[in-house]
Amino acid sequence: MIKLIQPFGDAAILLTFGAEINTGTNNEIVNYVKALKNIDIQGVLEVIPAYVSITVQYDFLKISYKELSGQLQVLDVEKVFMKQSRIIEIPVCYDATLSIDMEEVVSYTGMTREEVINKHTSKDYLVYMLGFTPGFFYLGGIDPRLFCPRKDTPRLEIEAGSVGIAGTQTGVYSLGSPGGWQIIGKTPLSIFDKNRKEDVFLVNQGDTVQFYEISLEEFKQYHK
Amino acid sequence: MIEVVKPGFFTLIQDAGRFGYQEFGMPISGALDLDSFRLANWLVGNSLKEAVLEVTLTGPVLKFYTDMSIGITGADMQPKLDNAPIEMYKTIPIRKGSVLSFGKLQSGCRAYVSFAGGFSLEKEMGSASTYTYAKLGGVKGRALRKGDTLPFLRNQGIGLKTVPEEFHIQPYRLLSVRIIEGPEASLFLNLELDKFYTNEYVVSSKSNRMGVRLEGVFIKSAPSSEMLSSGVVKGTIQVPSNGQPILLLADAQTTGGYPRIGNVIQADLSLIAQQKPGDRIRFRKISLEEAHSLAYDKEMALKKILEN
Repeated sequence: MIKLIQPFGDAAILLTFGAEINTGTNNEIVNYVKALKNIDIQGVLEVIPAYVSITVQYDFLKISYKELSGQLQVLDVEKVFMKQSRIIEIPVCYDATLSIDMEEVVSYTGMTREEVINKHTSKDYLVYMLGFTPGFFYLGGIDPRLFCPRKDTPRLEIEAGSVGIAGTQTGVYSLGSPGGWQIIGKTPLSIFDKNRKEDVFLVNQGDTVQFYEISLEEFKQYHK
Repeated sequence: MIEVVKPGFFTLIQDAGRFGYQEFGMPISGALDLDSFRLANWLVGNSLKEAVLEVTLTGPVLKFYTDMSIGITGADMQPKLDNAPIEMYKTIPIRKGSVLSFGKLQSGCRAYVSFAGGFSLEKEMGSASTYTYAKLGGVKGRALRKGDTLPFLRNQGIGLKTVPEEFHIQPYRLLSVRIIEGPEASLFLNLELDKFYTNEYVVSSKSNRMGVRLEGVFIKSAPSSEMLSSGVVKGTIQVPSNGQPILLLADAQTTGGYPRIGNVIQADLSLIAQQKPGDRIRFRKISLEEAHSLAYDKEMALKKILEN
C-alpha cells in the first residue's frame, strides 16, 4: 500500500511504500511499476523504483499533479499477475588476483577465504533495486557473518564486473567507476551491454541472483 | 561533413535525452540547457529534438566540407566564421571550405551549435546523446577529438531566422534559483534550512554534467541513516555529510542516498546549465502551483517562437 504521495520538485511525484527494506515491499513496488506501465497514463514520462519508493516523472502540461496523484493513489495493482521471478546465475571468480579486498574481509569477519566464498555463494539474493550506474543492482540479505563495512577511502576506479560487499548488501559493478565496496571477486559477465539484443541490463528489480564459483581458468575462458 | 580541427574543452553531441531506461539506472543525459538547445534547432529548421553540439567553456574549430546552415545559442563564446565574427541566435549559411571557430568565453558556460538536417549518426538506446561514463551515444561515446569527422543528413535550403532578443539566455554571475522543498527538507533543523536559503553558494570547479557541486556555508545534513536510496531527478539538490550541496544534472545517477533538501523548478533548470565554476547561486523556495505557473508561462512564450 502507498503510505505517502508527495510532490518531488515540479516534474515528479514520490510514492513511498514503507520505511524499511523487505521482500514484501519490494514485491509491492515491482508489481506497482508493472501495473503503472500497463495502464500507460498520458503524461507519465519515467519511473524510478527504489527500495521503498517509486519516483514518477510527469509532464505537467499533459497531466496535473492533482490528477496524476489521484490516479496513482487508486491504481489497481490486483489485476497484475504475480510476476514469475527470474533466477539469474552469475559466475564469480574469487581468485586472489581478482578479489582485491579478500584479505580485509577475512580479517574483519574472522572467517577463512573458503568460508567467505561459501557464504557468498550459498544464498539466493533478491534484487531490491537498480541504480548507481546503468544496470548496477542492489542485493540484500547477505549472511550476517559476511557483514563488513565499506572501505574508509573509496577507490577511484573499480573495474566493471567486480563483485563487492558492504554492510548487509552485495552487488556487481556494472561499469568502471569509483566505489567503496569491498571487492571479493569478479564476474566475466557484462552486467550492462548496450549491444546485447534481448537484455541490455542483465538483471532487473525483483529478480533472484545466485552466485557460483568459477576458477581463474574458467574466468579467462569467457573472454576468448 | 565537418572535420574537428580542434575539439574545444569538452564538446559533446547531445539531443533531448535518452528516455525509458531510468528504472535500470541509466541517466537521462541530453542537452543541459534545453531552452538554448531547442532554439538552436529551430534556427535551422530541425526537429526540436535533433542532436546538436554542446560546447562547454571553450569552443571547437570545425571545418566544413559541405554547404550548411548552422545556429548558435547559449553561452557567448565569440563565434567566428573564417575569422570574422558572426552573430548568435541567427541562421548562419556556411559555404563548403569555411572554418567555424570561437574566441573567449564572454558569458554563460555552454553554447549549442545546430546543423540543418542534423548528424547522420547511429543512435544508441534510442538517443544520440553522449553519456561518457557508459561510452554511449555521440562519437564512440566520448567528447569530440581532433580529427573526428561528423557526417550529416542531406539538408534542404532553409530560410533565415532570428531569435527575438527576449529569448537570448541571460546568464547571471549570481543566479537566484527557485526550488520546491524536497522530500527530506523536514529532516533538516530550521536553522540549517535558514542557512541554505540565506547564503550564496559558489559553483565548484569539480562540477560536471552529473552535477553542480556547490561550495559555501556548511549545512548540517539530516541524519542519512534514516534514508534509503531513492530516486533523484534533474534539479534535485542533495546534501551529503560534508554539508556542501550537490545540484544534480542530466548525467547524474538515478538514485541517491543523501537527503534531498529541494528540487530546482523546471523554469530555472536551463539557467543552471549556464553557471560556470566561480559563479554563484542562491536558493528561494516557492510552491508547486507557482512553479507550474512559471513553467507554463515560459513554455507558452517559447512555443510562440518555436512553432513558427
